[in-house]
Formats: sequence, C-alpha cells, structure tokens
Amino acid sequence: MKRVIVAVDNSAAAGPVLATAAAMATVLGATVDAVHFSDDAGATLLASAQRYGIPLRQSTEDPIHAIVELAIADDVVAVAIGARHRLSARHPGHVARAIADAVDKPVLVVPPEASSPERLRTAVVAMEGTPRKARSLKFVIQLADGADLDIVVVHVDDEDSMPRFSDQVAHETEAYATEFLARHLTGAPSVRLELRIGVPADEIMAIVSETGADLLVIGWPQNADARRGAVAHELLDRSHVPVLLVALSEPTANGK
Amino acid sequence: MRLPSVDPEPGWRLERSGFDEERLRVNAAVFSLADGHIGTSGALLPAYPGSERRVLASGVYIGTGPETHLLSGPVAFHLPYDVGSRPRLRRVLDLRAGVLYEEVTTTKGVLESVRFASMARPGVIAFRARCPDASAAGPPLLPPPDDVAFDEGSVGDVAWIRVSDGSGGITAAAVDVDTRAGSVERIAAYCADPSRVPEPAEAATRLREATALGFDVLLDEQRQAWATRWDDADVVITGDDELQQATRLALFHLMASVPGEGTAAVGARGLSGPSYRGHVFWDADTFTLPFLAATHPASARAMLEYRIERLPAAIENAQEVRRAGARFPWESARSGRDVTPISARDRTGAVVPIRTGQLEEHIVAQVAWAACCYVDWTGDVDFAEGPGRRLLVETARYWASRARVEADGAHIYGVIGPDEYHEPVDDNAFTNVMARWNLRRAADAVDASQCDERAADEAAHWRTIADALVDGYDPKTGIYEQFAGFAALEPLVISEIASRRPIAADMLLGTERVRGAQVLKQADVLMLHHLVPEAVEPESLEPNLRYYEPRTAHGSSLSPAVHASLLARAGDFVPALDALRIASRIDLDDLTDTTAGGLHLATMGGLWQAFAFGFVGLRPKDDRLVIDPHLPPDWTELEIRVRFRGSRLRVRVRDGCVLLDADAPTPVTVGATPCTVGPEPLELRRTERRWEVAT
Repeated sequence: MKRVIVAVDNSAAAGPVLATAAAMATVLGATVDAVHFSDDAGATLLASAQRYGIPLRQSTEDPIHAIVELAIADDVVAVAIGARHRLSARHPGHVARAIADAVDKPVLVVPPEASSPERLRTAVVAMEGTPRKARSLKFVIQLADGADLDIVVVHVDDEDSMPRFSDQVAHETEAYATEFLARHLTGAPSVRLELRIGVPADEIMAIVSETGADLLVIGWPQNADARRGAVAHELLDRSHVPVLLVALSEPTANGK
Repeated sequence: MRLPSVDPEPGWRLERSGFDEERLRVNAAVFSLADGHIGTSGALLPAYPGSERRVLASGVYIGTGPETHLLSGPVAFHLPYDVGSRPRLRRVLDLRAGVLYEEVTTTKGVLESVRFASMARPGVIAFRARCPDASAAGPPLLPPPDDVAFDEGSVGDVAWIRVSDGSGGITAAAVDVDTRAGSVERIAAYCADPSRVPEPAEAATRLREATALGFDVLLDEQRQAWATRWDDADVVITGDDELQQATRLALFHLMASVPGEGTAAVGARGLSGPSYRGHVFWDADTFTLPFLAATHPASARAMLEYRIERLPAAIENAQEVRRAGARFPWESARSGRDVTPISARDRTGAVVPIRTGQLEEHIVAQVAWAACCYVDWTGDVDFAEGPGRRLLVETARYWASRARVEADGAHIYGVIGPDEYHEPVDDNAFTNVMARWNLRRAADAVDASQCDERAADEAAHWRTIADALVDGYDPKTGIYEQFAGFAALEPLVISEIASRRPIAADMLLGTERVRGAQVLKQADVLMLHHLVPEAVEPESLEPNLRYYEPRTAHGSSLSPAVHASLLARAGDFVPALDALRIASRIDLDDLTDTTAGGLHLATMGGLWQAFAFGFVGLRPKDDRLVIDPHLPPDWTELEIRVRFRGSRLRVRVRDGCVLLDADAPTPVTVGATPCTVGPEPLELRRTERRWEVAT
C-alpha cells in the first residue's frame, strides 16, 4: 500500500498539515503515516490526528535524518511537513527545504495559515517548459489521473526568456499554447494553461489567488545556489497554500 | 525490396540525427512534404507519444468565422510499430528531389523508409519501407487526428477514407503494393475540393493510375519534376554553406506549398501545419507570391485566382462599411469574408481586442500590388487586361472612397499599418503611399485600355486623389513620418534599450508604453522602399534606414528579411547578413517556439526577396529586368535563377562582375547599362562608374 509520510509537531500547522496530507493521500491512493518528533505529542497534535483519523507514532531521532530515511522506502510516494510560521526567527520551511534537497520524492510543505481542505480541488503547477522541469508537471498529471483535480499550468516568461516575435497575437498565442501542451502534457488529462510575462513569483502567486488553488506545485532545484533556485525559494516563502516541491534532479535508485 | 538511395550533396541535404523529444514535433514541420495541393506532416512512420500525423489540403476548410480552419485528411504515412526507448534516429531530406529518408529503431528493430509527395502527380504520395519483421503493415489509411466526420470502406485491397464537413472534403484511397515479408510499399492518392466532397471512386482512379506506374517510376517523375522547378528557382550562395542549406529549405517549402493550377489559398503556414488555421494574410500576396511570379508563374496566377474568386465578397465587404470598390479582409479563408478573431489572450494573460480585421486595410493595396508584381514578371497581357485590371480598378475605387479630401490634402484616418504596435493611426505612410501607388497604377491601366469617357473620368479622379494623398515626407530630413504624430512620441530607441533583437517589445514594455513610443514592430516606412522603391523619393532609403532601423524591434517574423534586403542595398553588409541569418533560422532553430504548428512561409518568401531584391537587386521595370547587385565580401558568388517574360535567366554575381545566361533574348539593365542577354551569355564588369559589357 502506498504511503504519505507526514512529519508533524504540536503547532498551529498540525491541523492543516494532517488535513492536506490526508487529501493528498486520497488523490494518490495512499495511506498517511504520521510521525511526531518529540517526547510529548501535545494536545493540539493529538486532537488533530484524531480528527483526521491518522495514527501517530513518535520518534526521538533527528527529524531531517529520520524523514529522509523513511522516504527511501519504495512504497512512500510523498512526504508532507509543516512550515514554521513566517514570523519565526528561523527561515520558514528550513526543515522542509533540507528534506526536499535530500529526497527524490515530492515534499508537501504546509504553511500554518493554510486551510484544512477536505479534498484537493485545484492545483496550480508552475512550469518553465524545459525537459528537466517538466518533471514536476508529470507528477501532477499522475496525481490527477483518475482524481477530480483541476490543474492550472502556469508558464511565466521573464525578460530573458521573453519571446522574440509576437506576430498575430490570437494565432501566435494559440500556436504557442498548443505546442507547450503537446510537448509537456502528452497523454495527460485536460489542463488549463495560463501564460504570463513578468516576475515569475509575482505572476504565479497571482494565479494561485485568482484560481483559489489549494495546492501549488513547483519544481525544486535540489541543493541549488541562491540564484538558480530563487523563484522556488521565493514561492515557498510567500505561499499561503500548501506547496508541493518536486525534485528537478535525476532520480537515483534509493530515492536520494 | 531495394530502398532507393537518398544521399544528396551537402548543399541539397538536410540531415537530423538523434532522438530529441522536444525537436520531434518541430522536425515534423521541417520535414513535411507537399505537392501544392496536399501536405503531409514529417512525423515518423512509427508511433511515438505526442506525434501528430496530419494531412492538409490547400483551400479545404472546416468551421465558420474566425474558427474556420483547415480540414485534416486521412493519413497514409504510418506503420504499426512503436518507437523504442532511446531509439536511434536518422533522417535525410533530399531537397533537390523532395524525398525523405528515415531510419529509426522501433521496439522490434530498425525501420527504414523513403517517402515523397509527388510534384509530378499532385495528390499522390508514396513510401517504401524495410521493416524489422514480418508484421502486418496495418490499414493503409488512418482517420485524421482531429474529431471530424469521416466514412471509410474498401474495394478489394484498396482502402478509402472520406473526410468532410458537409461542403468540402478530402478523400484518399491507398493500397499496399507488393508487400513481401519485411517490407511495405504504399501508394496513396488524394482528391480534395473546397466546395464538394470527392467520391472514393475519384481517389481510386487516381490511385490506379499511380499504381500502374509503380513506385520507382513515380520516384523518377518526382526527381524530374523537382529538377525542373529548381532549374528555374535555385539560389546558390558560394561562401556560406549554412545559409545555403537554409535557403534551399525555404525555397523547397515555398515551391511545395502552392499548386500550379486552379485556385491557391496559401495560409500563413502553408500546408506544413495547422497553425494560423490556414487563414490567408497579406503574407501570401506580399511575401510568397513574388517568388512564384519570378520562378513558377502558374502558381502565382493560382494565388491571384484566389483573390479574383473572392472579389465579389470583397465588394460586399466594402459596401458594408459604406465604401466603393473592393475591401479585401485582413484574414481570409473559404468565402473571402473576414475571419479575423476579434479578441485573444496574449502571452501576458491579458485579453486584448484585435482590431486588425477592422483597421489593417493596406492589404487592399497589397492585393493590387501582387497582381502587378505578377504582370511585371510575366508580361501576361490577358491577365493584365482582364482580371488584373478588375482587381486594380476595384481596389482603386476603394481607396478613392476611403481617402478624405481636405484643404491640406487627402488623408486616410484610423488605420493600422504593418507596424501593429500603434493603432489606430492617421495617415500611415505605408498605407497612404500604397494607396497612392494603387490609384495611379489603376489609372494607368484604365487609360491604357482606351476605355470610355466615364472610365477615363474615373481614372482622372483617382490621379487627383493620388496626387493629394499626404505621405509624411519631410524633404529637409529625407524621412517619411510613419504616421501623423509619430515624431512626437517618446523617442525610445529599442536597439539601445533591449538586451537583444528581435524582441516582442509589446511584451517587454507593455502595449500602452510602446503605443506611446517610437518603437516599431516591423518595417513599415521601410516596407515602401522594399516593395515600391519607384514610389518613394529618390535617395530616401538611407535616411529612413538610419532612422527607423534602430527603432525596429522586429517583433514580427516578417521583419528581419526585409531589413536584410534594404541593408544590402545600402551596402551595410554586416547587419544585413545578421538579419538574413535570423530570417533563415526562424524555423530551423524554432525561434518562435511554434514551428511545430507549421513553417513560416512568408519569412521564407522574404528570405528569397532579400537575395533577389536586395543582394542581386532584381526588379522588373519598364519591360526590362533591372539588376543592381550588392555582394557581401564574404561571398564568392551569388547565383539566382528566375523566369522573366517567358525567358529563363541565370544571374551570377561576383565581385565586380555579373554573368548572365538566358534561353531567349531578354532585355536587362545592369546598373544603368541596358543590354540584351540570351541565348548567348553575357558578362558585365564594373568599372569606376558603370557596368560595361566585357568583350
């Protein structure tokens, strides 16, 4: 049976993390395996686990190391973790980033202000349209296959990737969109493509807001320097909805 | 079964090796094969994810209004194998013969094939394949990939599929001939008609004629037909192999995209893909037709027939906006009524109104220009005195009713010129000068016909309006103001602002900003110097090039080739060659990310024009062919072949020397030196001041 590993703590993120993980697990046809890294579960966490019918187990290991080890298993299809509040002294989501850098499985990062969805309805997928980054889209296509999930793909051009030509706008946009979808969504369920030009993070967040998405999917450049992963990091910092990080590096045999 | 050898010389060869998933769809367009009537995508014979095998027929549409698009036909170029994982792939297109070789690894082994679309027998396509095993070849025909109505059947071993939208249709018949174990030879015949649905028996008859000859004879015919076309159309650049290959690819697709008889609806992407829905723009009249007028007049004539058939619709269009004469639509398809969309989402996500259908009226003059271009190259008197004159007259009537005569001159208010960043504008120089040219040319035609008094009065009226039309020319600066008020716009020089050109400046800066600035999408004033140099002030090329070139973003794929031509004429070879290379690589390098939807046919035509009008300086003028060469120092020789007034000419330009061959006496003017070439060749050498015939 497939599993989604959830790392939870006794914080405001507990409910949203467990709820989102449960919703994600439903889409993936998986169960949820929640791990609490502390001696004492805490009332918030226990109540949330009970509410969503998710059994909790405890671990005293280092969370990052333990989650990475758990994620290796073949039956694990995703990892979910809460982000610290953005007002926290530490960088929000620093544990999530460390895990996303280390594992090859998708990592779902749930901010504490996220809602607790009963089910996932709309996912926004940020795509830059290169073969490498198309991987994030393919995961979501698998995610949506058989599930009632609306997918909105966002492709943002900035000044460097801006098109050279804009012939007849109606036909050109149609031709570009048709080709974009054909290259990256072969055999996929129908998706909506939103094309934007501008600052990528700004445009993507705007689409998330406009669509009322309850999930944002982005490619995660593992162990990237600040420049290469700038957009992904910024989205992770700014998103008020759960963010699914899908590793962009080539997969290895043990999932790392 | 022997596979014919496909091993052309380097200058005639386009080869691609390696399986690049992202490039497969692009290459399906680049390797598409057509015969002017039917176009087949260059998708691989075996199946692979994302492949789209498509067959299109010239002028056969489905749908209504802006949704009108080309109907897809049955598919014969296919075999029931699957591409293996990490397959080997090698494809060679022999441009000289129009034959495509393919070698690909399938899950069952290597599949090799040779295919072509017969230029000798339009509508007939064939392939021969050496298969990895003795698997059955599958049905000879597959239904089209789109959701369209079709029916199918078979008579003996001949399969047929008929696709129709109720008015027009495409019917194909196909048979696998001589299928021995491990090989397949398939011949298919297509019949297509925009106004009726061809019967299967028609396709079967065409197929029977082809199968009676057999694959090898059909292939021989194909080679001969293409050799004849190349004899009349080749461009040879000695000193730049990459440009040579790109140029021959462009000419190949131009020749393959237009039929040599009947009526030719030439959409923006020809028969190479469905993008732009097969809609006919000014691209056809301005960029594609001239090449054919100069190399294969029958095809140019077929393109003009398309406009002539739609003249009644154009007259109705004009009446609807309370104008006289004929108003050809910006986008045209089946009926000749406007099929321009009225809004669209652009790449920023914004929904923008599209006003080109309403306001971009210079196409009216372009249709007239195309008719005159054909007459100038061919001397077709019957056309000039018949339908050609009618086109001129009706388009002149339109301009006469469109221009508003005021105290300070005649004006044309509220249009869009070729530079679509600014709309609407008043007294667009391009529109006004083309309208003026149109009026005068029509008046000349009427006067020459020694018509009745009423017609003569009308012609005189046209001349009056033509003389009064303002054109924005400032004799002090030598510059034409692109439209009234252009000089007062924000002086933004895009060549200094943008990190690169071409660039879609409207997306870089926003539509409002560019609308208020001196940033051009494409050549606008400079198009006048390119199309009607005799209608602009002498010596005005240089000041306008100096002023407008840095302000041009080249946001239109039509633009670089025009600039290449003009820069060549100005002797500015470095930027000329830069622009030429961009034009030549638009599809090969998929610079628009849209080549998979079809090739940029007008850019290809523009590329030829850069060579012909720019570097060789060819122009029909007063029943002579003018040659005014400008050869870049890097090129050892530039050769171009054309047909002029029934003669076949070969023009070779070398440094300080022009070599001419013609099969019949042909009046030419080299520089300012008139002479006659043919059937004896002629050599002229440049002295300090003029060209002189070498003795």
